[in-house]
Amino acid sequence: MAKRTIDGLTRAGITHVVGIPDNTSGALFDAVMTHPLIHLVTVTREGEAFAVAAGLWLGGASPLVVIQNTGLLEAGDAIRGTAQRMGAPIPFVVTGRGYAKMWRAGITRDEPRTRELLTRADVDSTALLTEPTLDAWGIPFRRCDADDDPVAAIEELIQSAGEIRLPTALVLTRGLD
Amino acid sequence: MSVDPEGARLTVAQVLEPLARHRTDEVVVTTMSVVRPWGLLSSSELDFASADSAMGHAADLALGIALAQPDRRVVCLNGDGSMLMCLGTLATAVGVSAENFVLVVCDNGEYEITGHQPVAASGRVDYAAMAQAAGFRTVRRFTDARAWAEAVPEVLTLTGPTFVHLVTEPGHQGPIGRSGDERARYLQQSLAEWSETLRRALAVPL
Repeated sequence: MAKRTIDGLTRAGITHVVGIPDNTSGALFDAVMTHPLIHLVTVTREGEAFAVAAGLWLGGASPLVVIQNTGLLEAGDAIRGTAQRMGAPIPFVVTGRGYAKMWRAGITRDEPRTRELLTRADVDSTALLTEPTLDAWGIPFRRCDADDDPVAAIEELIQSAGEIRLPTALVLTRGLD
Repeated sequence: MSVDPEGARLTVAQVLEPLARHRTDEVVVTTMSVVRPWGLLSSSELDFASADSAMGHAADLALGIALAQPDRRVVCLNGDGSMLMCLGTLATAVGVSAENFVLVVCDNGEYEITGHQPVAASGRVDYAAMAQAAGFRTVRRFTDARAWAEAVPEVLTLTGPTFVHLVTEPGHQGPIGRSGDERARYLQQSLAEWSETLRRALAVPL
């Protein structure tokens, strides 16, 4: 699947993958590391990924940011103060930690975020907060779940970011490999 | 080596004037206290003010430009407060072997534009040693204006990543806005508008 994803990125003209890998995206990072055309920029925090990507876009490259939703939550002002204020069409994939747990617990993103819910041991609040956070930050997004084709979704994401001319997200709740 | 509180320091003018004199086609990214002073010395469309409060991300933004433009040198005029917020960028720059990246930290020991509050461990952090330990290819440290002025041409041609630690005096800059009232040309447009200006100057297809 990582090869299919890479082929999709190549078709879409992506020049750099910027981010921090996790279990879901690790195979993609491995594939990019040895790819002859797409460059890998492994950063140290997720906010840094958006600043690097914004700079890449300024310089004429076409970056894709790949991070986990935990890291998304730390990246707010970097997205706002760089890519969003610049009107930079940065597509980014957010791998969705905690979604399976949230769904198993029968909880949706619209659940009232009470103390009881936010502190429950069987709920990973990262998943609970991911989509409301994207909404609050004015970031267009869609979700790619088990029945969706992630490669098609990423290609659509890249096209959509270019049309909207803003950082635009795909929340990936399924694997790539 | 910590900063000697009684030792020599450069003024912001002493930092910027030699750079403006020797700068040719480099992209110059500024942030915080040097944004306005640089904008009064230079009106180049290759300047970029990372002045929209992105919590210290000027260096990584400049690194991104450098990666996209490998045949052009990119200079980031960073502050010590901003550097502390994004120390990881030292590792990122080394990780991608950004040979055309010059990161200058103007260490005045304070958050000048928000009201002169001291940064963490003000005057006790050796930024040059940090860059050296991270693996920057070239690291320089200056407290003397003449030595810096003489070194600028070399700094702009060294194979990087290059790190320069300048021990500076605080200035008197306040919060930075973007409006027609600003004298610095790159602050007279929105960040989105100036982004297009820079991309045109870099001959990026719009």
